[in-house]
Amino acid sequence: MTINAMGEGAKYKGTQMTEKQLSEMIEKKVTEAKQVCEGDETSDECKVAWDEVEEVSQDKADLRLRLEVEKKDPLESFCLENPETEECRVYDD
Amino acid sequence: MAVCSAYTTQSLNSTCSISTPAKTHLGFHQKEVVFYRRSSKRGGSGSSSGPCVITCSAGDSQTVVIGLAADSGCGKSTFMRRLTSVFGGAAEPPKGGNPDSNTLISDMTTVICLDDYHSLDRTGRKEKGVTALDPRANDFDLMYEQVKAIKSGVAVDKPIYNHVTGLLDPPELIKPPKILVIEGLHPMFDERVRDLLDFSIYLDISNEVKFAWKIQRDMAERGHSLESIKASIEARKPDFDAYIDPQKKYADAVIEVLPTQLIPDDNEGKVLRVRLIMKEGVKHFSPVYLFDEGSTISWIPCGRKLTCSYPGIKFHYGPDTYFGNEVSILEMDGQFDRLDELIYVESHLSNISTKFYGEVTQQMLKHADFPGSNNGTGLFQTIVGLKIRDLYEQITSSKTAAPLEATKA
Repeated sequence: MTINAMGEGAKYKGTQMTEKQLSEMIEKKVTEAKQVCEGDETSDECKVAWDEVEEVSQDKADLRLRLEVEKKDPLESFCLENPETEECRVYDD
Repeated sequence: MAVCSAYTTQSLNSTCSISTPAKTHLGFHQKEVVFYRRSSKRGGSGSSSGPCVITCSAGDSQTVVIGLAADSGCGKSTFMRRLTSVFGGAAEPPKGGNPDSNTLISDMTTVICLDDYHSLDRTGRKEKGVTALDPRANDFDLMYEQVKAIKSGVAVDKPIYNHVTGLLDPPELIKPPKILVIEGLHPMFDERVRDLLDFSIYLDISNEVKFAWKIQRDMAERGHSLESIKASIEARKPDFDAYIDPQKKYADAVIEVLPTQLIPDDNEGKVLRVRLIMKEGVKHFSPVYLFDEGSTISWIPCGRKLTCSYPGIKFHYGPDTYFGNEVSILEMDGQFDRLDELIYVESHLSNISTKFYGEVTQQMLKHADFPGSNNGTGLFQTIVGLKIRDLYEQITSSKTAAPLEATKA
């Protein structure tokens, strides 16, 4: 059984891309934060770096909640109006 | 629904007739309708009474404003979903607009995310060395102006903070709803905004529970580890303590979430102790109580009539003071396992503002898949939702002018 950890629940390509993007951002920003904080843990830069991690982590979680619990793709109403766009391509599972 | 108050240039007497409903060809501006006395063909009365000016305010200019302070993202939180559900209908993002909008709209409610009032976008905050928690990253003047406008029935063009890109997007139009909820980190920070709120709630998650929840939230992410989750919480804590936490004392209701006391050394954060701290003396808000208002009660519902599984359920109720305010605290520790436990508990609570027996249970069941549906968080969020409905109905009925009686000339 393969588990598609990314794009699980996302209906449209645009949302799949957003999920992937957010995951990558989390990874990147955690690395950045660790680097920035190495010098001074109490610096403003360190605080801001971890705040960004929190922001992106929460966004990812919100998106996942919406997809898995509410079963609604955020692009739903946009894609009803614009089915031809790249981001509205439907993914096959 | 239009509510009309009549202001007459002279006293309202029998020569002034008012036709219902307020359908007229003479609208001078949006909210004013002027009725002229029809000339009586059957011989006039003595004095001409002049025009009666009737000011109609559309239902939305009675917008009730609720503030919710929470550190869990915006407009998508479980609390908001439960709240909008109490009023009926599901809250959806505005159709046809920016798909990254944070706003949620249902029939009765509009939920605005206060992140939309960031004065600095992600890059700007990085440059200035300022977190999103810092007041310097937020435009309180704009927040105040727009909430004030919406409250008085005027639509506004509200900015959108795009969480994906971290940029401020072009604004979206927000029309005044019946109930406006402003949710975010700083709903009660600015005094002017605070004064606009008809009711305010603060969601106070203890550090241990916050840590446990964030572990559940983030551990599946490739970039995260226990260390990074911990580091993120620690780094934000100074700003959180300085700017967000102090808002608690202004809230009419605080929902405090703590680790359970029923299981020794529990650190999973799965079983929770939740306290609903309700301010006394708030207009249109009567605190929920157990058995005997104002007394102190400890209650374990599980026993002969009700069998519960481990670790059971424990309630506490009593008066207290909280940051110098008189409050009543209702507390639940433990979990619901079965429907009948929930109904049993509901039947023993008073002042829950339900419209029928079992309404709390019904609402909880409707969202059984939401986090917190089996414990005090779901229970108290649902109850607060019902109290807000009650508050809304009280406010709108007290603003309705006394019915005008059409009298015949």
